[in-house]
Amino acid sequence: MKWRLITDDGVTAAFGLAADDALAQRVGAGISIPTLRLYSYQSHCALVGRFQNVENEVRVQYCKANNIPINRRPTGGGAIIMGADQLGVALTIPARDGDSYSHARELMGMFSEGLVRGLQQLGVQASFRRKNDIEVNGKKLVGLGIYRAPSGGLLFHASLLIDLDIALMLSVLNTPFEKLSDKEIATVAGRITTVHREMKSQIGYDDVRTEIARGFASALNIELAYGQFTSAELEAICILEKEKYRRDNWVYQTSAVADTFGSSKIKTPAGLLDVRVTMAGPTIKAAFIGGDFFAAENAVADLEASLRWHTSQSEKVAGTIQKIFQSRSSEFSGIQPEVLIEAVQKAVARARLSESQIRADPYGCYVNPGSQYV
Amino acid sequence: MSNKINAQDYPIPADRAYDREHHMWAQYDPPSGQVIMGIDTLGLAALGDLAYVSLQAVGTTVKRGESMGTLEAAKMTGDLIAPISGMIAVRNDEAVNNPALVNQSPYGDGWMVVIKSSDWDNESAQLVSGDDLSAWVESEIKRYRQQGWID
Repeated sequence: MKWRLITDDGVTAAFGLAADDALAQRVGAGISIPTLRLYSYQSHCALVGRFQNVENEVRVQYCKANNIPINRRPTGGGAIIMGADQLGVALTIPARDGDSYSHARELMGMFSEGLVRGLQQLGVQASFRRKNDIEVNGKKLVGLGIYRAPSGGLLFHASLLIDLDIALMLSVLNTPFEKLSDKEIATVAGRITTVHREMKSQIGYDDVRTEIARGFASALNIELAYGQFTSAELEAICILEKEKYRRDNWVYQTSAVADTFGSSKIKTPAGLLDVRVTMAGPTIKAAFIGGDFFAAENAVADLEASLRWHTSQSEKVAGTIQKIFQSRSSEFSGIQPEVLIEAVQKAVARARLSESQIRADPYGCYVNPGSQYV
Repeated sequence: MSNKINAQDYPIPADRAYDREHHMWAQYDPPSGQVIMGIDTLGLAALGDLAYVSLQAVGTTVKRGESMGTLEAAKMTGDLIAPISGMIAVRNDEAVNNPALVNQSPYGDGWMVVIKSSDWDNESAQLVSGDDLSAWVESEIKRYRQQGWID
């Protein structure tokens, strides 16, 4: 099977997103061929998830002062910055008849496998973490999302960190840090990683892109042929840019569901445990586990990732934490799982009670809520 | 016909019609010509907990097979596809403000919209209902289990 590979660089936020959206619509309608697009944005832009509130996630004034465009993805998840050091990945394919969302979930594993194979060819020991991350030893390297267009076309979106200016990211995104120092940068760096960091070399962008393309060809058992947008596609992209991605009513729309925020602190013999959660209704969207106890940063990152987009039901939260501790208890240096379960459940309960929360702490794709980190 | 067909975890009430592809339900009220619509339990099983729902405004005309709103469950986003065409007469703002309602009560408080149907007789023929429902539900549950989407 032959699919198209499009590579384009330095695109604007509006064009980049409109192109992915337009291809998803057209591929679903059978008027464009399945396409893998590996591309970069003009440095830099800030992209929020489908239902995030821009004012809550992005430092709008900073962006305006520094000519950093803000836009909204059709896919969900947290806010990110994109630029010349991040590889945008968009796979657009038609859904199978009658499979609706279920097929998309099944395909997420296959989609991530393309990225994982490409990364492994580069020597990066990446693995897929349900539901939507690719990580290296607990540290996030890729964020994934799926959008199903009304036509039935599926868009798989990923942002791969070849490199990342963490200080810039923390300036652009409305993170909970009150100040920006080496400590905050090191804290975030402990929870994410990049291709350059893992490879301990400055491999070129095109070399990464080539291996990712090969990874997809191998994982999906397809042949990729370089191609360009057709004139009909460019026309559709232009219309979507004009009517959607350059309009404030798309970019600055607000969600009816306000994020809620809850925290709890418990003193333990091993040190202070500080837990913060951001929730959408009964779902934990992001969790931060900090304090002054000693723990392996990978173990903390692993636990936080396990609680991302997790149900807040007490028994399920407890089960997830117990499962992490079964394999990593020694890395938490004396913090008992029961105490952690209690702290998370208290934070969740407080978040659920915060009825009139107007502004919750933000949650970025690569930054969790909270003001202090371990 | 029994009120609920098949596995107790995935009830599909027999008093309404279902879109095979998108797992949306539609229930017709002949005197008013209005149709209440929502998402069924198998659709929700595939999506998981909904975090956000948006619905088109009252007065908007929606067409069968086209978007009447959007949703986000975990990081999967998508459109809510209308099973029946018509003008939105009532929107369930409680579900928009609290999407958990949809998971908790998909056939009750978690309904999505009420529309004034423009072509119920023809369009409902494309939905599954009545005597065909039982076999469809069984095959769908079997398929979901084979794929590992439900236990």
